[in-house]
Parts: sequence; C-alpha cells; structure tokens
Amino acid sequence: MAIRVNPKLIDELETYGAADVQNCYHCGNCSATCPFSKEPFVIPRRSMRNLQMGLEEKLKGTFEPWLCYYCGECSQQCPRGAEPGETMMSLRRWLTSRYDLTGISRLFYRSWKAELAALILVSLVTMVAFLVMGFSLGHGSLGVYAGAGALFPDHLVHILDLALAGLLAAVLLTNAIRMWWLTTGRNRNLHISLWSYVKNVFLLPYHFLFQARYSQCEKKLPWLTHLAIFLSWVTMEVLVILLLERFHSPETVWAAHVFGYLATIGLLGGTIYAMVGRVRKRETHYKHTHPTDWMFLILIAGAAFTGIVQHASYRWLGLDSVANIAYLIHMMFVVPLLAVQIPFSKLSHLAYRPLAMYLATVHTDALASQQAGAAQTEPVRLAA
Amino acid sequence: MEELKIGVFICNCGSNIAHHVDVDAVREAVEAMPGIAIARSYKYMCSNPGQEMIARDIREHQLNRVVVAACSPRMHEKTFRNACRNGGLNPYLCEMANIREQCSWVHSDQLAATEKAKALTNAAINRVRYHEPLESLTAEMCPATLVIGGGIAGLTAALELADAAHQVYLVERTATLGGNLARVDLTAPHLDSARDLLTERITRVRANSRITLMLNSELQSLAGYVGNYAAIIRTKNGSGEVQERKVDVGNVVVATGYQEFDAGRITHYGHGKLPNVVTSFEFEQMLRKGRIETRHGKLPQYAAIIHCVGSRNKEFHPYCSRVCCMTALKYAHELKSANPACYVSDIYVDMHAFGKGHEDFYKTTSEVKTLFLMFEKNERPVVRKAGPNDDCEMLIEVNETLSRERIEIPADLIILMVGMEARADSGEVARLVNISQDQEGWFMESHPKLDPVATTTDGIYIAGTCAAPKDIPDTVAQARAAAARILGKIAKGKIEIDGVFAEVNEDRCSGCRMCNELCPYSAIEFNDQTRRSHVIPAACKACGACVAACPSGAIKGRHFTVEQLHAQIDGVLA
Repeated sequence: MAIRVNPKLIDELETYGAADVQNCYHCGNCSATCPFSKEPFVIPRRSMRNLQMGLEEKLKGTFEPWLCYYCGECSQQCPRGAEPGETMMSLRRWLTSRYDLTGISRLFYRSWKAELAALILVSLVTMVAFLVMGFSLGHGSLGVYAGAGALFPDHLVHILDLALAGLLAAVLLTNAIRMWWLTTGRNRNLHISLWSYVKNVFLLPYHFLFQARYSQCEKKLPWLTHLAIFLSWVTMEVLVILLLERFHSPETVWAAHVFGYLATIGLLGGTIYAMVGRVRKRETHYKHTHPTDWMFLILIAGAAFTGIVQHASYRWLGLDSVANIAYLIHMMFVVPLLAVQIPFSKLSHLAYRPLAMYLATVHTDALASQQAGAAQTEPVRLAA
Repeated sequence: MEELKIGVFICNCGSNIAHHVDVDAVREAVEAMPGIAIARSYKYMCSNPGQEMIARDIREHQLNRVVVAACSPRMHEKTFRNACRNGGLNPYLCEMANIREQCSWVHSDQLAATEKAKALTNAAINRVRYHEPLESLTAEMCPATLVIGGGIAGLTAALELADAAHQVYLVERTATLGGNLARVDLTAPHLDSARDLLTERITRVRANSRITLMLNSELQSLAGYVGNYAAIIRTKNGSGEVQERKVDVGNVVVATGYQEFDAGRITHYGHGKLPNVVTSFEFEQMLRKGRIETRHGKLPQYAAIIHCVGSRNKEFHPYCSRVCCMTALKYAHELKSANPACYVSDIYVDMHAFGKGHEDFYKTTSEVKTLFLMFEKNERPVVRKAGPNDDCEMLIEVNETLSRERIEIPADLIILMVGMEARADSGEVARLVNISQDQEGWFMESHPKLDPVATTTDGIYIAGTCAAPKDIPDTVAQARAAAARILGKIAKGKIEIDGVFAEVNEDRCSGCRMCNELCPYSAIEFNDQTRRSHVIPAACKACGACVAACPSGAIKGRHFTVEQLHAQIDGVLA
C-alpha cells in the first residue's frame, strides 16, 4: 500500500523552528558524520527525508530525533545548508506536541505569545494562591519567615509541592505511554519480549541521570553544561520536595545546604553559559533559538536568582520580610517553569529522552532476534 | 623501368617495438635483399632526427622508394610521406609496414614476433616496388553555403557565414523561423526569454542581403562534391504551387533539429486520456499565454513534474535528452512564482545539472520548496485519477528511491518532460546529403570528440540537435564551429584532393551502372552522352568497393592496384 505524500507538513514544521529542510538533496554527509547514525537508526537523514515527503505517520512513530543531542556536526557538514541538526530539534518539539493529547503543547510551540501568556497566568495564580494561603488560611505575618507564624508555613508548601509533583508525574507518564504506543506498541511487525523490557529497564535511570549518550558526542563541553544544569535541578527538586522542612529550619543544616549551594552554582552558571551562547550564536547548536528556549532559560535563571536573594536575606541579613517577598517571586518563577514546561514544552524531554534510549535498545534487540530467526528458517543454499 | 633503390627504415618506438621484435634481425634480413640501397633502425623514426635521416638518405643514396616499418599508417603515414617530400621524393612512393599495433603489441613470443615483423616488412618492400608517383588534385571552392533548417542552429550558422560576406541559402520547411526554440517561453537557468534570443537572430537574418531565405522549402536533391555542390530546392508558395530552384554551393550545414517524444506511447502516464496530464511543450504554451491552470480553469494546488519521459529507458530511448532536467527546474520556478501556494513535486531519475550555473539553479529550486522525489531508471510512475475524497485531481504512485517507500503523490496538473528524438524524416535527409546516422537516428560526426561538426562526407557539416540532444549554448557553439570550418575552407579558395582515388577506364566501361548504386559516397556519375561512368575524385574515399565490383575490370584503385596488392600478399607469404 502506497503512503500518501503530504507536501504541506514541511510548512507546519516551520512553526516548530525547522528551516531549510527542503534544501537537503540526500548526499548523506550528515549521517556519515553523526556518531549515532547506525542501522536501524539512520540519523538524521531518514527523518529529513520523511519530513520532506510529509510522511506524518512515519514521523510520529519514530524516536530517532530523541537519539540526537544536537552536537551540530551534521549542520556543519551539510553542503546545502539544510540544517539537519535544527530539523531534529524542531522534530523533537513537534513530537512533544504529538505525545500531548490536550493540544496545549501544539498551541505553545506554534505561538510563543500563547506560552508566555500561560506562564504569566500560572505565575499570577501562584502569587494569589500563596498570598491567600499565607494571610487568610495560615494567618501568618510578613515579618516571619520560618517557624510559628511564618507567612508560608513549611507543611502547607510541602503539600502543594507534592500535589504538583504528583500531577506532573501523571501527565508525563500519560505522554510517555503515548510515545511508547506511537513508536512501539502499535507496530505489529515488531515482536518484543517482556524479558527484553525488563532486562533493559536500568537504562531509564542511567540515561536520565547521566545523559550517557550525550557524552559520546565529539564535543564534551555541551554535555558537561547540560549535565550540570540537570543534576543541579534534580538536586534542588530532591531538597525541596523531600527535605523541605529540614531545608527551611532556622539553623543551617550543612549536610543539605552544601548541596543547595552547589546546585545553585550549577543552575546559574549553566544557564548563563547557555544564554551567552545563544546570544553569540557561534556554536551550531546555539545558532537557532526558539522562543520556548528563551522562556526556559529565563525562568531557571529567575528561579535561581530569587532563590539566592531569599536565602541571603533570611540567613545572612535576617530580613524576614524581604525573604518572604523573594520567596513569593521565586515560586512565581518555579511553578510556571514546572507546570507549563514539563508537560507541554521543552522540559518534557527529561522523560522522552531516557525513554527513547531505552526503546532504542529494546527495538534493536527485537530486530536482531527477528533477523536471527529469519536466517534460521531460510533454506540452506547449496554451493553451485 | 629505372633501377630500384629502396630505403628501409625500422623503428624501435622506444621499447614498444624493440621489446618484442629483434629490430636488428629484421634489418639484417632485409639488407641483403635485391634493390635495397640502405636499411636502418632507429629509436624513434617519427622524431625530427628520424624524419631528417629519411630525407637525407633519399638525397645521399638517390633512393626512389621508401619503406618505414613502424606503427600503424593511421598514426604516422602523413609524417613519413612528408619526410619523403622533404627529401625530394613523391610521397606516394613510401609504404609503411605496421610492426607495432599488428605485431609487437599483440605478441609475446619474441622469435615469432620477429619473424612476423620480417614478413610484414618484406610485404611492404614487395609492394613499394610497384608504387607509382601520384599527384594530388585541386578543385575550386564555391563560396556559397546551403543551410538546412531555420532553428537557432541554422540561424546562427547562416549569420556567421553572411557576416563574413559570403552568400548563404537558408532553407526552412515551415513558414516561420525559430524552430523548436520558438515554442519555448523562458530558458534555464537564467530565465531569460527564448523569444528575445530568437528575435535578434531572425531580424538580422531577414535584414541581411547575403542570406537568401527560402521558407516553405525543402532540399530536393544534392549533387556534386565538396566545393562544388548543386542543390535543388523545392518551394511551395502561398497558392500551393511548387517551384524548383537550383543553387550552387560549396558546403552544406545540416541543422534540422529534433522532434519531441510522443508521450502517448507511455500509457501509464495517461497523456491524452487524463485532461490534466500535459507535455512540456503543452505547458510552455500555457506559460506563453500567461495562465497556469487545470483543464477546468482552476489554479493547481499540487503540480507534479515527471522527468525522463521517453529518455534513459531501455524500452524507448537509452540516451539522456540533456535539457529536460533544467527545463523541469525552470517549471518549478515558474509554478512557484505564478502561485507561491502551489506545491511542486519533481519526480526524477537522476538530476543532470552538468552545465554552467545549473547546480546553483538546482539549489535555488530546492530553496523555493520543490519536493524532489527519485525513482529508478527502468521503473515507471503510474498516474491514476484521485477519488472523490481526495483533495487533488490525480495520484502518482511510484517507488521512491531515497526513502525506499512506495508513495503516492497528489497532483492537479502533471507535466511530462518529453525527451528529444531524431526527426521521423531524418533518414531521408541523411540520404539526400549522404551522411550516416547512429542507431538512434542522430546524424554522425566525423569524430565524436575531435571533429564533432564535420561528417564523413566532405563539405557536409552538422549543427545542433540533429546530431544529438543539446542545450542552446552547445547548439550555438556547434553552429558557429561549423561556420568557422566552412569559412576556413572558403579562405583557402581551393580544395586539395588526395591522389588516392578510383579511376574508370572509359574504354573498358560497359555502362552497366553497377558502381553508381554501390558507391557509399555517391562519387560515381554516369555520363548520359558517352554512356560511361566516371569517378569524381573529390568525393571518392578510395574504399575500393567499385574496383572489386566492376564486372569489366574497368575501375582501377589508384595506389591500390592489383599488382601492388598481389605483390604485398606474395611478400607476406614468402
């Protein structure tokens, strides 16, 4: 059965940041230079071709864009200026919007104004919620940061944290299942054993925590920067969600705070490095910046900066009211960052990437055993 | 008969000959033979010292025959004939023995090769004894030229010749000038107008008093030989009357062009059945009218261009038509500029972007978002009508090479890039002017690389797409080259005719005319008054067909007499 070509798809991808895809004439230099392009995953050429031809179902069912970390070698080698690296990036955005059933992601990627409006709205809702919680429900006072009478008591914030974390995890899990369905579950030609799923499951935390594949790119600095931002963020989440009470206690708990300081340095340093890179546009992977990239960086930098102000004013200067205001603003950065960008935008890749690495291994195993099976059933050819 | 003094010169050709042939043994073997005045071997006989040695020996030893045992006469016969002339000897008293291509290069046994070289040299010595001094002839060169075909090639050649102040007869079968190019809108890759290219030429041709323009005319017959052709031209005037006119010309430029492949021969494409499948020439008409639309008057949302229609396919023509790829890219540009919302699919086999500026043109066509889809050479897309729920008129199904997917491509308008083929009447033209055709019907050059405008008949030149598919720059270049070749001949004033040709002994000729029919160069004329045949030396190529065929033995091949050939055979067998 022939697949219908849809020349319009390439136009749609432009709103996700794809540029000059049509220039590609399939010389294959990109795949020759890519360290990850290896059968059965031809990166980035196959996706370039499927996109040019508008084979939407094929594209929806591939996780190849997630196997690329955008080192930029392919775009540098491209003789036609077809920007394969950026195409993979925009395909990741497009796929994110395919995994999200609500359609919100699609809206945000196609309209930066919509995403900005959503971020501001969530930010304002957070502000109102915290103010109501602090003054009306908790009867706290602006002048008290911690302990009895605190404006934002730990136990209430903690409940909110857990509720948000639970909600986001549920949304992300739904999207991840959809990704599995599109790439793997609906494919009837692929027979994957349960054992293969089980024995490879360690790959999920492994790639989640270390982005091991990114480290195999020729340039190591982007991986280190990414790892610094990511590990700092995870550290902060652990500290804030699991150890909030200890973190907020009046006396400094060094065992926890040392990690807090390191994470703050990592977040701020990494973010500033990325921002400078995106402004200077010297490296290939920083040449094209989607509005959602800026929103992401600004939110992290804002969260880190307000976190420092809050910490300094409470612990070093003893200005509890300043600390409370800084904390409020801090939450106005953090909550939109998590609530908008994790399920619907850039941050969702924290789930899709490890899942893609895991599925890639599972697929490769299945294909290898299918081929071995086929070889066995093939009749033995006698020598002529 | 004077006493024979034969000089034998044996070449080592570096080690080419000497490696497998004992050159000195050959020299010793011939030295003792009767009539041999001198025998020498030398490293490179064709070198200047080698040639000077031959000339000097002719003078010093009063040699009256020369044998050079070296390479093929195709390579150096002219060189050694010239050396003889320099030594004061008639050049036809020289004979070559080919001991390189026919001996040292093809044998590995040194003893046997040396024996064979001796036999070949002996044959040449035997033959040269019977050689006669021959003189080359000269004939007048008529400075007028006949140009057949009024397309861009014919127009260009005519102008080039007339601008050099020579008379030209330009014969065009139709009522208008411009040929196939006149049917084209813009040209690739610079998108300049074909009309502009032609108008300038046509205006100048019409204004030039040295060009006699003959429209609605065809060549009826061509007789004579280089420098002295008589052409009869038939002209139909407005009332359908036919007039014949004889013109004398020295040379002929054949520029009869091509015809397009009939797309209806490929049934899968539906040309003639589906209303919105058009050929490239039909699309050019749309472009010239300024409206790109489907048969129902709608703007096409999806346009598809299919390449290599009739070309590069074992079923029709195996060759590439050379202009279609760039023309297809031109269509993509024109479709996009007429309607930027139109999606253009370019369905190709290989993109041949070989010319100046073509690769850039290919790139800019990609940049305007043309979807390039590749299929295999001997496969074929299939066109079918789309269903009621499709947003397009037709669907093209094909195995796409780059993705290895079987795909269907939506299309509202399909343009078939029809290739070029030799005109249906090219055989008739070839017969009229006595030139050869290749298996595809294209007129053949004298040499495909070194002499691409001349033919095997002296004075007949080919230019443009009658020789093979070409684009405009190549066609114009070839037309100008043909004109330059003719101008060179006209400047010389006379033509030199090789002394080797056939002669009819009219006393023995019975007038059976068998040779008239047989001669592949139309070089034998029959004289109605004397009832005898005679050979036109300028047209004769000395192939010997008439000599062998003449039942009365009345024809003698000069330089290939029976005595010479028998002596040569005896020599090789001795």
